[in-house]
Amino acid sequence: MALSRCLLPFFLGRRGPAVRALSTAAAPAAAAALEEDEESITVKGVSISGRPLYLDMQATTPVDPRVLDAMLPFNLSRYGNPHSRTHLYGWESDAAVEAARARVASLVGADPREIFFTSGATECNNIAVKGVMRFYRDRRRHVITTQTEHKCVLDSCRYLQQEGFEVTYLPVRSDGLVDLAQLEDAIRPDTGLVSVMAVNNEIGVVQPLEEIGRICKEKGVPFHTDAAQALGKIPIDVNRMGIGLMSLSGHKIYGPKGVGALYLRRRPRIRVEPQMSGGGQERGIRSGTVPTPLVVGFGAACEIAAQEMDYDHRRASALQQRLLDGIRAQVDEVVINGSMEHRYPGNLNLSFAYVEGESLLMGLKEVAVSSGSACTSASLEPSYVLRALGVEEDMAHTSIRFGIGRFTTEEEVDRAIELTVHQVKKLRDMSPLYEMAKAGIDLKSIEWSQH
Amino acid sequence: MAAVAVPMRAEALSLFRSLLRTAKQFSDYNIREYTRRRAADAFRENRALTDAPATAAAAFAEGKKQLEVAKRQAVVYSLYAPKAKSVMELKVQ
Repeated sequence: MALSRCLLPFFLGRRGPAVRALSTAAAPAAAAALEEDEESITVKGVSISGRPLYLDMQATTPVDPRVLDAMLPFNLSRYGNPHSRTHLYGWESDAAVEAARARVASLVGADPREIFFTSGATECNNIAVKGVMRFYRDRRRHVITTQTEHKCVLDSCRYLQQEGFEVTYLPVRSDGLVDLAQLEDAIRPDTGLVSVMAVNNEIGVVQPLEEIGRICKEKGVPFHTDAAQALGKIPIDVNRMGIGLMSLSGHKIYGPKGVGALYLRRRPRIRVEPQMSGGGQERGIRSGTVPTPLVVGFGAACEIAAQEMDYDHRRASALQQRLLDGIRAQVDEVVINGSMEHRYPGNLNLSFAYVEGESLLMGLKEVAVSSGSACTSASLEPSYVLRALGVEEDMAHTSIRFGIGRFTTEEEVDRAIELTVHQVKKLRDMSPLYEMAKAGIDLKSIEWSQH
Repeated sequence: MAAVAVPMRAEALSLFRSLLRTAKQFSDYNIREYTRRRAADAFRENRALTDAPATAAAAFAEGKKQLEVAKRQAVVYSLYAPKAKSVMELKVQ
């Protein structure tokens, strides 16, 4: 057994054509856009010497090998539909789904009957915002949310506005936190939902969930939180935090992409109008075959997160401090966007004054980071989250988000520091604005001549 | 095989060495480093468990389970390893 395993890599090893022949037909088409050999990778005319080091954990996380190990059997021999009631394939699949449900529930302090699997946090946010308001449309006409929410929440609210509901978009303070007094004032007798995300994906700020939950409970308004970035990273207890609805995502906690879960409180019961019509799966909340491999992976990821939360948190804090100290020791005029005290340590959003963001990113080809968020990066606008914080346009354009995770190493952080500092210094050397600022000129007082 | 027996020091060391050996077989830089680091930290943390036989046995059993997972996944990762290595593994220019 061991011998054949030793020989396996030899047979399937680095003989390019032989490996390609085993893969599906789709592979050659994808390979045409991206050329890869042992020396370098060429994509879109840019050539890099190896796979970049990954510091974009808020966009997505790698699948943990323990999660993959749990998922594989359900892609191989245990491929049954969990809703098939008549044979072993269905029974074993259903048992796996229910076991995963219990794991997700236990990570957030909920009952398994309160967890409903969906395709991801975006779908959960849609169900939560639109579903709740439509169900209670006769008595509740008002929604409260913040300006820094994820696009899917803001877009769902905009959609509701078109249907005649009213929405209050609460501003945030310059440290990213919501003002609790403003929130309390904004609640009206016909408010049907308060939606505030737990951890912001762009700036990493953690909102005061317990206080918000307490206010909502006093006023009798359901509290929804998008906990996609918070799950498994900060302790969440739906009862202590008074949460009525919660959106969870699989691929932010080292699980597979394409799966998420919606937490819906039973006591007092929160009802929603389903967005997906069909066979009534997931207690009618979300019809459609539950994808067993993905759900099993999500459950495994939650179980691992529960065990590793402290260890990962300590490591992420240490690495974040290392990154920050390393950059600040060599470069000045670096601004941290968002509160440092109320922050999840794996998310560091920095603005480098007098440096242009796109050119900084282009120079950091060997580090995979992002500026703005992946959802809004298609447009040229600076991030709306940074704008809500009151960050000036030029600083917003130059922001970089470093995402540190479970698999990030000290060496990667050191290399990222080295590359970032090198690039920032290079750009500042070329920048006339930096020269003027160093000479003591106040850039705001300059009258730029029009040609 | 006594599955719930308290491990002798030699057995625990042997498990640790197996985990480190398996870690080296991962083709992915990040997973390789994580496996090595996590195993070392876990064994260091649990070193104090010598006076709690039940927890020591449970930790040992958990360690063996993780070893099996790591062995399987090392094979899977090597089957699908990309041709280009991580920049962290390339020689410094």
